[in-house]
Amino acid sequence: MIESETTYKVRDSENTKHVSFKPTKEFHTNDYSNRYIQTGSLPQKHVTNIENSVEGYPKLQKLFQEKEKQVSQYASTPFGCKVDIDEMVPTLNRWIQRDNLSFDVVMVGCLTDNQFIYPLLTQLPLDKLVSKPGFLFIWASSQKINELSKLLNNEIWAKKFRRSEELVFVPIDKESPFYPGLDQDDSTLLEKMQWHCWMCITGTVRRSTDGHLIHCNVDTDLQIETQNTRNGAVPSHLYKVAENFSTATRRLHIIPARTGWETPVRLRPGWVIMSPDVMLDNFSPNRYKNEISNIGTNIPLKNEIEALRPKSPIQKAV
Amino acid sequence: MTHNSTMNLPLVQFLMENDAELLKVPLSGHLRDIYSIYLIQMENNHIEPPTHEQLISFEEFVNDLKFISEVAPGSLSFKRENPLLSQVDELLEYIDVFPLKTLYELYTKRQESSNDQVQQNSNKKKEQVGNTSTLERLINILDFEKSMTTVHSSNNQQHKILSNQLNKILETEPASYELARQRAKEITPVIEYISTCRDHQHSSILASTVYIVNNKIVSMQWSKLSKYEIENPQFMACLKSKIHYVPNLKPQTDLTLGDCSYLDTCHKLGSCRYLHYLQYIPEFLTDEVTRETHAKNIKIKSESLKIPFYTHGNCSSLVIKEQAPPQWIRCDVRKFDFNIIGKFSVVIADPAWNIHMNLPYGTCNDIELLQLPLNHLQDEGILFLWVTGRAIELGKESLANWGYKVINELSWIKTNQLGRTIVTGRTGHWLNHSKEHLLLGVKGDPQWINKHIDIDLIVSTTRETSRKPDELYGIIERLVGPHARKLEIFGRDHNIRPGWLTIGNQLSGTCIHEMDVKRKYDKFIASNKNPNKWHKKDMNGIKSGNQKKFQSQISTF
Repeated sequence: MIESETTYKVRDSENTKHVSFKPTKEFHTNDYSNRYIQTGSLPQKHVTNIENSVEGYPKLQKLFQEKEKQVSQYASTPFGCKVDIDEMVPTLNRWIQRDNLSFDVVMVGCLTDNQFIYPLLTQLPLDKLVSKPGFLFIWASSQKINELSKLLNNEIWAKKFRRSEELVFVPIDKESPFYPGLDQDDSTLLEKMQWHCWMCITGTVRRSTDGHLIHCNVDTDLQIETQNTRNGAVPSHLYKVAENFSTATRRLHIIPARTGWETPVRLRPGWVIMSPDVMLDNFSPNRYKNEISNIGTNIPLKNEIEALRPKSPIQKAV
Repeated sequence: MTHNSTMNLPLVQFLMENDAELLKVPLSGHLRDIYSIYLIQMENNHIEPPTHEQLISFEEFVNDLKFISEVAPGSLSFKRENPLLSQVDELLEYIDVFPLKTLYELYTKRQESSNDQVQQNSNKKKEQVGNTSTLERLINILDFEKSMTTVHSSNNQQHKILSNQLNKILETEPASYELARQRAKEITPVIEYISTCRDHQHSSILASTVYIVNNKIVSMQWSKLSKYEIENPQFMACLKSKIHYVPNLKPQTDLTLGDCSYLDTCHKLGSCRYLHYLQYIPEFLTDEVTRETHAKNIKIKSESLKIPFYTHGNCSSLVIKEQAPPQWIRCDVRKFDFNIIGKFSVVIADPAWNIHMNLPYGTCNDIELLQLPLNHLQDEGILFLWVTGRAIELGKESLANWGYKVINELSWIKTNQLGRTIVTGRTGHWLNHSKEHLLLGVKGDPQWINKHIDIDLIVSTTRETSRKPDELYGIIERLVGPHARKLEIFGRDHNIRPGWLTIGNQLSGTCIHEMDVKRKYDKFIASNKNPNKWHKKDMNGIKSGNQKKFQSQISTF
């Protein structure tokens, strides 16, 4: 039975009063920037799908699970290569020339302002290190990315590495180890609360036909820090975006920065991580090459994933 | 040196281990600095907090040093830079570790052999050493820095302390940030806020109790509600104080499909099989919040009538001075003469970048955008430029051409009805797009800006295509004050607001209050021998006679 009036009696501590549960007609939206000024509660805290970004979408949840399962199934041993920042370029050169190594996914940098990305990028024969097609992710502060754009926009670079997306990582609050703080921040007008990533593609991939190489539109260009990411220098979101996008199994992460012993660089299955502070130094080019030849350079197609992942609409032949 | 007959052994050890560090820059042998480092070290070395006796005064510290140098001749040498300075302002010039070592060994041996109080102390110390040795070994394994560079452990401690202090100094904000933030809190009008319930159970309870007609909540079965209240004691209180989203179940709804990607903006509510939601806020709650917010704002207004002590970046008559009424000019921005409208503290531009997308309005060519003479609009100030995808680089280039330096990038995190980020659909070419970028370019060196009140993020719901969040206007008012001249280029009718001049080709008519702008504008229209049809319309659209005239504020700053 439905009551005609949505009024009912509430017994408060002393008096009894009528409360009408009649709904408000107009749609209400909150201004979280204004709320931040009044209470200090940060706008990003009000996002409701931080812990599970695909909440409410069972198909996408299933896709994420399937992808995660398959990525871990085709992951190489977690490798660390502990080298000084000055030794990075010579080491990588040795891998390229002597060991004939190349990678399909190369990620450079992490969430700190104190990085030596520019010298690394200018000294490194990146086009030999990154295979074609290949994917390059460069993580830094938005100011650093800005400075780098001069290099990355010059003709030689832009031809080889096409800039494709700009990713953003947002720390959840000011206590976060990923909170950028005031570092190198004399002139900014707004307080920094984000890190940027320049995602480049080299070689040719087409999103409509190259489903064996890339899975487009699975992840988004925005990552917000979750609860379980405070135990190291690199939040897992950074790796996941690359893993979900490219099906390649040869992945390299170069961190040209000292992250210190308090925020260790942890290993991750499927990645070779080069850093002066990585927790383990177990990389051997030959062992790696062996493993990759067993795993294969790309994760094979899987029907469940193909059925679930967003695809380009099929062009009708005229 | 009569007061001190006992040797301060920790100090001897401290001098031995840090001899080079103490003499080098930045300490350079200054006794006061060495003293403070010594105290920090003492605090850090002890597992228990140091006793009062161990925390010696500076005078005692100097006396101890003199005593050491007396007992071990040649171990320490002092220098007096200025003969007028007292003994305590001397510098430590040289530390000889060898005599100090001899002294230390002598004393520790003597303590071991003799049988007085000192021995008990040293026994204690030995015990400590025994306890910590395993711990120390384990820490050594964990401590990368130590294992990589074989520095003395205590020296390393020294580095850590110094770097911590240096970090602390670097992390200290200028007082202006805090002052501006506090003032903003005092004078910013409060906007109605109702928090959102995040308990999924509440929304499913509501789904079974509401009666929905025509996608509107008509009534509720309160007998059911009170039954649930017994099971979930906080439910009623939550319902009365928060926003709830109630599943709008329809005959065709298939719960296994999950939520609709479009939610409240779905055009096919009658047939869409995905789940949609209705916002539920009891009317009395909205009324209450409106009342409270209104009362708060009246209080803010009356209290801020007192002249604030911190006036940086705002005009001194901040509270009594009215904002200029909204002004707008309908024009083709590409052909407009920017000299008409004068100079601005802030400019927002939201150009329709020529990306490969079918937008419901014409996009202007990227090159045309680059050629806009935006360099005339500001001598110093901030330009906010909305950019998407490939236009990020083009936008940065344009800003540089117009004389701006990109100083910040603000991200708008786009959310849907339920406050979730946009994750579905194919909103981007390679990855889905959950945010948009706003470049902040600064020209000149404006000193009148109130920095770091807001953060470089906006979390806000998406509205009509390409409509940007209104939160930005609040952020800008806090940056430059409500009375600064502000311009929006490529604005539409919904962008018109007090304090702003809006120009764009989709506005309805023209409305100018500033006299000199009006005069120049009329002249511009008249001088155009062949004015296009927009301009003709504009002539009729100007509401001049009956409007309150506002004195020009062209040089607000």
